[in-house]
Amino acid sequence: MLNVEAIRKDFPFLKEGRVYLDSTASSLTPDPVIQRMIEYYHDYRANVGRGIYRVSQRATDEFEAARERIARFIGAGRDELILLRNSSEALNLIANGVQFKRGDRVVLTIQEHHSNFVIWQRAKERFGLDLRIVNSDRQGFFNLSDFEAAIDGKTRLVSIAHVSNVLGVRLPVKEVAKLAHEQGSLVAVDGAQSVPHTKVDVGDLGCDFFAFSGHKMCGPTGAGGLFIRGDVQESVEPLCVGGGTIEDVGIDYYRLRSGPYKYEAGTPAIAESIGLGAAADYLSSIGMQNISDHEHALTRRMMDLLPEVPGLNIYGPPNAGDRAGIFSFNVEGMNSHDVALALDSAAGIMVRSGHHCALPLMKGLLGVAEGSVRASVYLYNTFSEVDLFVDTLSEIAKTIA
Amino acid sequence: MNSIFEAYSKFPRADCGYCGNPSCITALRKYCSGEMPLDKCLFFRTSAFDPELIRCPAARDSPPKPGISYINPCPSDAKMVTVEVSLASGVHAKHGYYDMISLDRIFGRFIPSLKVSPSLGIARIEHDGRAIMAFKEGRMLIRRALSEEDAFLQLSRAMRQLWAAVN
Repeated sequence: MLNVEAIRKDFPFLKEGRVYLDSTASSLTPDPVIQRMIEYYHDYRANVGRGIYRVSQRATDEFEAARERIARFIGAGRDELILLRNSSEALNLIANGVQFKRGDRVVLTIQEHHSNFVIWQRAKERFGLDLRIVNSDRQGFFNLSDFEAAIDGKTRLVSIAHVSNVLGVRLPVKEVAKLAHEQGSLVAVDGAQSVPHTKVDVGDLGCDFFAFSGHKMCGPTGAGGLFIRGDVQESVEPLCVGGGTIEDVGIDYYRLRSGPYKYEAGTPAIAESIGLGAAADYLSSIGMQNISDHEHALTRRMMDLLPEVPGLNIYGPPNAGDRAGIFSFNVEGMNSHDVALALDSAAGIMVRSGHHCALPLMKGLLGVAEGSVRASVYLYNTFSEVDLFVDTLSEIAKTIA
Repeated sequence: MNSIFEAYSKFPRADCGYCGNPSCITALRKYCSGEMPLDKCLFFRTSAFDPELIRCPAARDSPPKPGISYINPCPSDAKMVTVEVSLASGVHAKHGYYDMISLDRIFGRFIPSLKVSPSLGIARIEHDGRAIMAFKEGRMLIRRALSEEDAFLQLSRAMRQLWAAVN
């Protein structure tokens, strides 16, 4: 069981009259994480991997310790974790780093975030990829046979989300990874919506790449990561080259380093990465199982209460057991932005509205090009916040919709 | 978590004026800011109702200064414009700018497509695809305006329509 009241005290943002239900877009940052970053600026503010003086060495040690913490958090080895800005940068690295040949097939799903969509459309233009999109049903469920049909011997890579940021549905990543590997394809997973909420083990998932953002898991903005399996790294080019990535440079040659350093050109986000390491520790100390149990309890409450709101269309699986703590919906007769404005004004409730960076899903599968409202819960949300949210939403639907 | 409409649902909602306020929602706001004891209300004085059951919502972030808060492209369509203005000055800080009950019951009936929620403190007008929202604390917002000029034209039109309900 989670002591939510104690946890809320760690988050300076949470003041009376504020209800934050937008953790799917970005989570809040707790004080222990902020303090670790301040400590860096106050006590050992130096570049990493460069200087020989003691403060610089401490900075390097702390930065590398953060890498190890973050790697352990997702079950990766420290040499397999590349510190980047966010999932988008990580996915761009994959799309530009894998050596594609004309005609190579890349398989995606309809539920991908733009970050895992647009990069492949661009790669299609550039490298002549054969892009295949696997569809789900309206509730978000996939048929494994559709993946079987899409993934063939020419498939170079399958890139899929772990959890949909709109429908909250979990994708069958493990099964798809197995199918893809049987066909000799690589597997990339967009874990932006899974890492913050459930225990992730990249070894167990069986993927070759795993991208995630720090700012969605109680870390600061500007720090995220990409797991690239050790034996795949050889064949994946860096997105940027430059300082820190090289072993040797001459006037007519350069030789790249091996391991994560190959991909980290220039001075990294040192304070932010140290903060992300602290966030991984913070979540581990609370326990990922406790966090997902708490979110699941909130999800059950939400799915019990939401159907009572008049004129509400809820997208995604109707059963609370099939979904993460993400709730997309529309109030009949009202634009999603108006609903979000009303929630904010009437009760200080913060939710996302619009297309959630998933237009192909919104337009194609759900048929709501104008967008939806999305509420989401995390470890610091309470049952009474869920109740207030549903009460306010009912009032909106009854009076101004 | 307490909300103003939860507290409002426990009020008589008769708007009888006995307590000296034009509406129950004004009385509730005054009660929550500590300016009016509940026994000024005939309903609470005579009924066996337990005033402890009325929980006032927590104080919120204060509204922005009067003037234009922002002019931005619309989140849903960058070719369109969204504008937010704040009308309230110091004198409205306590009881809000618009009296939504008066708007709902009296002045609003001739405004096409107006929807008012006294409990939420929000009024909403749809006008040719544009969405205008007025909030009790005096914020006004237009979305999907065709241009900046159109936004201010529509806003001033809506301000004139809602004028009689200003506290």
